[in-house]
This record gives sequence, structure tokens and C-alpha cells, in this order.
Amino acid sequence: MIRLTVNGQPHTLDADPDMPLLWALRDLLDLTGTKFGCGVAQCGACTVHLDGQPVRSCATPVSAADGAKVTTIEGLGGEHPLQKAWVEAQVPQCGYCQSGQIMSAAALLAETPKPTDAQIDAAMEGNLCRCGTYPRIRAAIKRAAGVA
Amino acid sequence: MTINTTLPRRSVLKGLGGLAVAVALPLPALGQAQQPPPGPPPATAAAAGANASERMLTAYVVVTPDGKVKVLSPTTEMGQGSQTAHAAIVADELGVDFKDVSVETALPADAYRWGGFMSSGGSWGVRRWNAPLRKGAAQAREMLLAAAAARLAVPAAELALADGKVTHAKSGRSLPIGALAVEAAKLPPPAEPPLRDPATFRYVGKGAPRLDIPAKATGKQVYSMDFKLPGMLYACARLTPVFHGDIASYDDSAARKVKGVRQVVKVPGGVAVVADTTWAAMQGADAITLVQAPSPNDKLASADITAKMKTGLAAADAKEAKAVGDVTAAFAGAAKVVEADYEVPYISHAPMEPWSCTALFKDGRLEIWAPTQRQDQAIGSAADAIGLVKDKVTLHTLQIGGGFGRRLVTDDGMPHAALCAKAMEGTPVKFFWRREAEMERGWFRPAQMARLKAALDKDGKVTALHIRTAGPSLGMEFSPTRIKEGDLDGSSVQNFADVRYKLPNYRVDYAMRHVPVTNAPWRAVGATQNAFFLECFIDELAAAAGKDPVAFRKELLAHDPRALKVIEVAAEKSGWGKPLPKGRARGIAYFESFASLSAHVAEVSLENGQPRVHRVTAVLDCGQVVLPDGARSQMEGGVVMGLSAALYEAATIADGQTVEKNFDSYRLLRFPEAPVVDVHFVPSDSPLGGVGEPGLPPTAPAVANALSTLTGKRIRSLPISKALEA
Repeated sequence: MIRLTVNGQPHTLDADPDMPLLWALRDLLDLTGTKFGCGVAQCGACTVHLDGQPVRSCATPVSAADGAKVTTIEGLGGEHPLQKAWVEAQVPQCGYCQSGQIMSAAALLAETPKPTDAQIDAAMEGNLCRCGTYPRIRAAIKRAAGVA
Repeated sequence: MTINTTLPRRSVLKGLGGLAVAVALPLPALGQAQQPPPGPPPATAAAAGANASERMLTAYVVVTPDGKVKVLSPTTEMGQGSQTAHAAIVADELGVDFKDVSVETALPADAYRWGGFMSSGGSWGVRRWNAPLRKGAAQAREMLLAAAAARLAVPAAELALADGKVTHAKSGRSLPIGALAVEAAKLPPPAEPPLRDPATFRYVGKGAPRLDIPAKATGKQVYSMDFKLPGMLYACARLTPVFHGDIASYDDSAARKVKGVRQVVKVPGGVAVVADTTWAAMQGADAITLVQAPSPNDKLASADITAKMKTGLAAADAKEAKAVGDVTAAFAGAAKVVEADYEVPYISHAPMEPWSCTALFKDGRLEIWAPTQRQDQAIGSAADAIGLVKDKVTLHTLQIGGGFGRRLVTDDGMPHAALCAKAMEGTPVKFFWRREAEMERGWFRPAQMARLKAALDKDGKVTALHIRTAGPSLGMEFSPTRIKEGDLDGSSVQNFADVRYKLPNYRVDYAMRHVPVTNAPWRAVGATQNAFFLECFIDELAAAAGKDPVAFRKELLAHDPRALKVIEVAAEKSGWGKPLPKGRARGIAYFESFASLSAHVAEVSLENGQPRVHRVTAVLDCGQVVLPDGARSQMEGGVVMGLSAALYEAATIADGQTVEKNFDSYRLLRFPEAPVVDVHFVPSDSPLGGVGEPGLPPTAPAVANALSTLTGKRIRSLPISKALEA
């Protein structure tokens, strides 16, 4: 049995310990905001926070989350400054990568409320976007952080 | 066909005319002149098929009791924003507030088909449907006015519809449209309803927020992989990686022991393991032992493909796409002849969402929920796989997590889902494949080569140009019933026949050198490689003539004010000719595709020997801009995606399969590598052009030209990062 807290809710899961956290969230807890992109921690679409740190849930076994606090895109609540900025800057196109993008950005702002461009680059490098929304993602992060 | 309708003065490209033609219209036999596209479909509720309801006014407009408007869109939303534009077009013409409008993808029916097919591609989403949607909304408005006139016993001419209400100004009475819809729906739609003055529009030409963005910023958007039905099972593919290959046999004994595995189903190219959860299905798939069937494609390799393409560069069997004047005579009399060979590799669409599709086979009927760009062909592929007639199949379209042409492919993926559903009759099944299969299945933009040869006179004016393209055919893979070995493939010469450059002697031809690697239209299709070939060569000619690249292009376009303007705006906004910091250079490229004109200027440098693109000034003339911010977003994305392909992307073929199977080896442009994209629209009263695709083609040549200027070495192959190493 794996005990973990997801978006503030405690859960006990009867899951294969090797099952990636991604599939536990999506299939067992019905939290499908976290996306499957590559399965090998290369695209960032599956990014969630594990005890506040951004992790690629496709390559994190659910057993690694035993006793931990997990936050997913659903856990940001919809009114997070980044989510508002994402809508204001009209960032997403197909949108499939955007949960992961927002979770990476949220981890960045939690640590570094006023990031520089270089800090934004470093935080966002692991998240691919095929539609090419990178310029708007940068603009939205800056808007949410209140930096020029 | 686009060309034929919108620009009748210019010549018509023979053969397959690119994505627009390839996806949406029944093609004439290759080599025949193309017919103009058929007109818009009937917009009556009767043509709306299963979408029809008592509150449907016309096929695109449904008014609910609370006065909200549901727009039924004929296109799939995949991030290009077409559906928001459709909602804005209807809101303006009908007379309702945008916040009261929602949009859904229609179930396939005649009102949503063009030329017999429902599809999304070719940058057609707004330019094709603008007029029919506007007319459908105008008809709906007139029907509501007529219903209100009857109710209020006043002439319809004294009524006006605005803000979701029909108002009789004389008496001060008004009726909400929600209360009129059922009566209005019983009235015949007027054949030619009056259209509102566009000056009164609140959204079209001004802006409306994308309807799909709030859900995408909160994780609530339901993509195919997220779509669930009660009791649904998951089917993970295990397929041969060899193009067009299959398996000889398989051993599923270990897979069947995996907890949660229910069934193993033979599907084209391999098997699917059906299980209770995604993870169990994936584990089961990994536990399958496949025995490959020998295939004639087992030894396919990139070097051999390049060698084969090369044999086409001077071959006599090329098929002519355009011939003006006498290029041979012009070369003989030239002061200078310039010739260069170019090459581009296979590239993958690599949408962020790997393919999945949910299907339920029950009571002899198949119901499908699919992220598809081609609804009717998807239905056909699924029906054929399990021997059903199409009438027994219902298709619900889901939003796509990235299409770019990849989800135009229906005969790979749809049959698999149908077969899994049939095997698990009565239980819904989600068939999916993982990133590795997404990459291995291919359906690439085909590799291609080109030889360009031009004659210059003593003043450095171009007197002749011959463009020869050679390589695998898109059509042979994507629409094999419409083309045969050795034919002209329109995508291989896409947009060459109608170049606006003044070329007194001009020849374009193509030598098919096909290899059986799966190909499909890749965003902007043949225009992406053709712009690279032509626009880099134009810079070579400018250099040979001792002229500035912008001045040289303007000379070639002196007769064409529309094209000149696009180039002038790109030059002006990018600061062309102004000094740059040491180590930086600019490059320009211009290309017309999907009935829009685009010119980009890229500003580049080298950092540790690697190309770095700092800024791209991107200019588009697409006629009227329907939703400016949406169009800007498409241009930004087009530049970034075009840059990714230009700098890094290549699918290498070895042993009949792609070497790059995931993002650890197939390199996409990453966040820190994205340039500033500065988009400018050039207002024009030309017919609506495409927006989603035309921003890509000038990107690669603008960057390559800038780097060639910087390094003094011509870049003639993609990806640029690899070309610079050579």
C-alpha cells in the first residue's frame, strides 16, 4: 500500500510500486490534467511537484511518492497567478504540454519569485512545446512574476 | 485549386497541389488540370445529420433556451484557433455577445463537408468557412427576426437583433432569442440573407479570446488520452518498427500473466495488449515477443535514399510542372550560370500527444472518439478494418494535442482501435501507442533534393531558372490511389509554379525517386522544403550578381506591389541594412503558400559553433486578419516550429526503421533556443489566405541565409546544425 497526499487529499493506493506516478494519478486517481508525452522524462508534459520540487511523473515510480505531498495542475486551483497569466497572454495552442509548462513555472516562482531570463530558461528547458508557444510562455511567466 | 480560385490570373499547378488539395478534395487524375473547388455545402438543419435538433436554426447555429448560442464547427480544433474564429464570425453576424457563444465540433454530416469530406488542413479552417458560417448566421438571424415579427405582429423590417435579443424599437418591446429559437427553426432559411456591415463587427478583425484556453491552463481540457468511458479498457500497441512491415508471429504467454491483462489482439503491424489500466497494458506490451516477418524494406537506410534521390537530379524522366520560355537557350546565352544542389531530410511531426483512440463495438455498431483531422476517412478506415458499412459507425471528434498533418493519417491507428473494440465487444477500449511508436510509424515530411540552376545576364538580372526536385513522393504513401511510380507529385513542386518572381525563362520539374518510408503532409507540406531550396538559391544569385538580398528580391518583384510591400515591411521592421553587433548577421526569405505572402528576416550568431537565432521578424499578408492575436500566435508558432526543423530535426533511416525513437534523440527546439518573434501583418484587400502554415516556409531559408552571410559558407542542407559541422 502506498500512502500519499495529492492536492491536499490523502490517498492509499493498492498499486504496483513500479507504476509511474503519472499513471497512478491519471488512471487510479482520475487526475488527467497531467499528460503523457514521452515516458522517458524528456518532454516535461508530465511535470508535477513532489514535496514542492518539479519531477517528471512518467519516470518517477509511485513508490517514490510514498509519504510525500504531490501537487498536480488540478492542485493549483485555477486562480494561480500563472494560470491567470496563461489566459491573459493567450499562451496555449494545442495545449497538451501546458500543464507541464505551468507546473515547471510554478516551481520556479515558488523558489524564485522574480526570476531573470536565465533563470526562466533553466527552469523551462525540460518542457517541450511543439506548437511553438515558448515566447508567450516567457511573457506569461514574467507577467505573473511582475517582472519586465 | 486554391490558386485557381483566388488568383485566376496565374497558372495552375499540375498534379497534387499540396495539403489543401491532398486532404480535402477528390482529386482528378494526376496530370489533368485541376477543377475549381466545389462550392460550400448546404447549411440547412437537414444537412446537419445527427447534429440536428429542434433548436437548430442552420447547420452551424443552435440557440439554447437560455439564449446561448452553440456553434457547430466543421473543423477540428488542434490549437490553431479556427473554432474560436468560427464562434466570432457567428457572434458578429448573428448579433450576440461572444461570452454567450460556445463551439463544438460537428458530427460528420454534409453541412460540414467540403468536396464530400470533413477535414482540417491546408490552412483552410477560417478562409474556407468564413463565408458559409457568416451566411448561416445571417440566415439564423433572419429566421429569428421573422419569428419575432410573427410573435409581436410587427413587420420584420422594424426589428433588430443585438446582444441576444430581438428588439422592436418603436414599441420598446424585446424578445430574447432563446424564446424564439424553436419557432424560428421551423421557418425556411432565406436563400440570400442580407449581411451586416463589417464596420459593425465587435470581434472579427478585432479579437476574441480563444475559447479553449481556460481549460488548457487548468488541465481540464479532455484530450483523447484523457477521455474515459465507464468500464473502459486500455490497449497498448506493440508494433514492428519496420516501415510497412508486419510480424510473422508473436508469443504472448508472458504478457497474459501480467496482472490486469485481459486480451491480446492482432492488429496491422503487430499486436495490442488489452488491460485494465494503461500501465498494465504497457507492461503487457513489453512482455510480448515479436517475430518480424521479412520485409523488402528491412535494409532501407538514409545513405541509400540520398544516393537514390541524387540520381534524379539530372535524370531525363522528370515530369514537368511548369515551363515558360526556353531555359536551355537562356543558359547558352548567359553571362553567368549558377548551379547548386540542396537536400532536406525526413522530419517527424512529433505532436506532443501520442496517438490514441477510444472505440466501442456494440449491437453491430461502432462508436469512436478520435483526435482526427479527417473525419470521413477515419470512419472509412475503422469501418473497413472490421467489415462494417460506414453508416454503422459514429465518430466523435476530440481536440487534438498537436496535429500538424500527422492526424490526417487515418489508415494507421484507426483500424487498430476498431479491431480492439471488435475483440472486446460491448466494452469500450482505448487503443494507444507510446512515443516510440509515434516516431517509428513515421508519416514524415519526405526527404527531398533539389538542383537549381539560373542564368544571369551582364547586369546581374535573372534570365532563366530551372528547379529540379527529386526524391520520395508524399502522395505515393499518403494518397497511393491517386498517384503512381514516376508521376509528378504536386507537393514536391508546391508553390513553384506560381512564384511571383519575374522569370522570363522558367522550368520546374520533379523526378520521383520513391522509397517506401511512410510520408504525410507536414505543416505547410512541400512549401517548407521548397522555400528552403528557392530562397537560399535566390541569395546565392544575389551574391553572384553582387547585389543586396533585399534589393535583389525587390528587383525580381518590381512588377508586383503586393509582394514588394511584404518584403519592404520585413526589411523595415527588422532594421535591414542597419549595423549589427559584431558576430551577428541577418538573412531574409520570402515565400507564398496557402494563398498568403510571407517574408521573414532572421538575426543570428554562432555560440560555441552552434547556431543561435536571436530574432525573427515575421511578416504576413493573408488578406484580412480575422482574429489578430490568434493569427499572431499562429505566426509565432509557425516560426518556432519552422526553426526547430531548420536547426535540428532529422529522422535517420537505418534497417528499414527510424533511428530516432524519442525526444532523447529526435531533437526539438527547446525553450532557451526560441528567438524573439516579431510579427507584422500587412493589411490587404486580397481574398482570405491561410495563417496556420504560411509562416513556416520562410523561416529555414531566412536563418540559413543569415548564417551563410555570417560564415561565408553556403548552407545547402538541413538541419543547419549538422550542415555547419560538415
